[in-house]
Amino acid sequence: MSTEPTNVPQVDWNQFSPATMWRDWIVKSEAQWSETVSRLLKDEGGGAMLKKQVDEARMAHRQFGEMAQAALAAAYLPTRADIEAIDERMGKLEDGLAQLSATVVALREALVAQGAVKVARVPRNRTAPKPPKKSRP
Amino acid sequence: MSAAQSQALPNPMQRALSRLGIAAENLADMAGPLGVTPKETIHASGTLKLHHYKPLADSVYRVPVLVVTSLVNQPYILDLVPGQSMVEYLLLQGFDVYLIEWGRPRREHKDLTLEDHVLRLLPECVDAVLRDSGEKELSIIGYCVGGLLSVLYAALTPKAPLKNLVCMAAPINGDGLVSLKAWMGEGFDEEALIEHYGNVPADWVQNTLRALRPFGKLAGAANLLNQIDKEETVRSNLRMGKWESDNIPFPGGVFRQMVNDFLRGNKLVKGTWQIGGQRAKLANIKQPLLHLLAQDDHITPYDSASDLVKLAGSRDKQEIVVKGGHVGLVAGRGAQTRMWPALDAWLAPRSV
Repeated sequence: MSTEPTNVPQVDWNQFSPATMWRDWIVKSEAQWSETVSRLLKDEGGGAMLKKQVDEARMAHRQFGEMAQAALAAAYLPTRADIEAIDERMGKLEDGLAQLSATVVALREALVAQGAVKVARVPRNRTAPKPPKKSRP
Repeated sequence: MSAAQSQALPNPMQRALSRLGIAAENLADMAGPLGVTPKETIHASGTLKLHHYKPLADSVYRVPVLVVTSLVNQPYILDLVPGQSMVEYLLLQGFDVYLIEWGRPRREHKDLTLEDHVLRLLPECVDAVLRDSGEKELSIIGYCVGGLLSVLYAALTPKAPLKNLVCMAAPINGDGLVSLKAWMGEGFDEEALIEHYGNVPADWVQNTLRALRPFGKLAGAANLLNQIDKEETVRSNLRMGKWESDNIPFPGGVFRQMVNDFLRGNKLVKGTWQIGGQRAKLANIKQPLLHLLAQDDHITPYDSASDLVKLAGSRDKQEIVVKGGHVGLVAGRGAQTRMWPALDAWLAPRSV
């Protein structure tokens, strides 16, 4: 039997997988489905619906927060408010670090300006645009 | 893989797969560290950070570039990983790149307004870039809401040291954002939302953006599964997925202005938007202007963006529409082959 490679194109059997075909159908239909739903949501009822959803979310957020807070506190576990407070403090620390970093850069620049420190700089001498790239043959 | 190596894997599923001889990778690791192009922070104010990227060319264009990112998304979409980074591409072409990271507003920042962003924070960054680069003018590249902020800055500051303005998918016309306008019309109570949360929560922003294309996430997941054997496609998809789930809260004060003045009033296109006591008129923009848009952008549809080039007072102005969507415009495969080269071709001769 010959083992030489042939030029017969290989069949990609994956394309006949029902799961692949089903997913392909989803991908191809998505734009149409999204467009249909978006059209339904674009009418004047859309704003009223969103307002209702926001109100529901706010109420649920408050009610669940209160319930969970009591249960978590009883179990000596941090509540959402505790985590948010830590997040706020971490954010402040991060901002403080960024300000320190910027101050260090400013100090370095001041030293460079005084000639106390030398820093290699890339020259700003690119004065003309590059030649146009050749198109592929 | 040896038994010892197999045991070293932290995830039981990975261990099971490795025993079967299937190399399993941690999906979180596959995305890789994002936004790693070397940079230093040269200015910080509140949550804002202004980064300066280390040049990657042997010389840089005279005019520095300031990238203004969106308020509701993380800036690393413009610098995902080496090879999939607009920032890296610009550096390799010889641009001196600075980038504004607005940061995550905390409750104390709920009253920040467009006045703060456009008339105080952005001009501070412009000054810092000019000071750092030693130049007298710069180019601005604004993406999405960052593009709108850049447009407002140019419209409100006629004497700005702005040489060129490039916008990417910048919404200008509130009437063109048909879905958002319908959802946040007169029946929508933005004050209740701001009063309760302070800033508009990130998951709220994310759900609203997803609702613009309700089945997009499902189709994206199906498409990814069908291409699971293409490693780089999977990696790229995971990176963008990570970014899409990483929204930033919208500062309450800015959200109020966007809903009332931009969406409901459509005041920018009408030329009646008052910011800091000044009227933002697009005709005041005189700088060379490029607007890059995506053909299938569901977040900034064409009708919401096309008025910029029509109404700007610039003599040198151009609009380029490329294939793809809102994210693909700046970070997808199409960005690498179409948008980035178009941006370079337009900006390079105007940066000398």
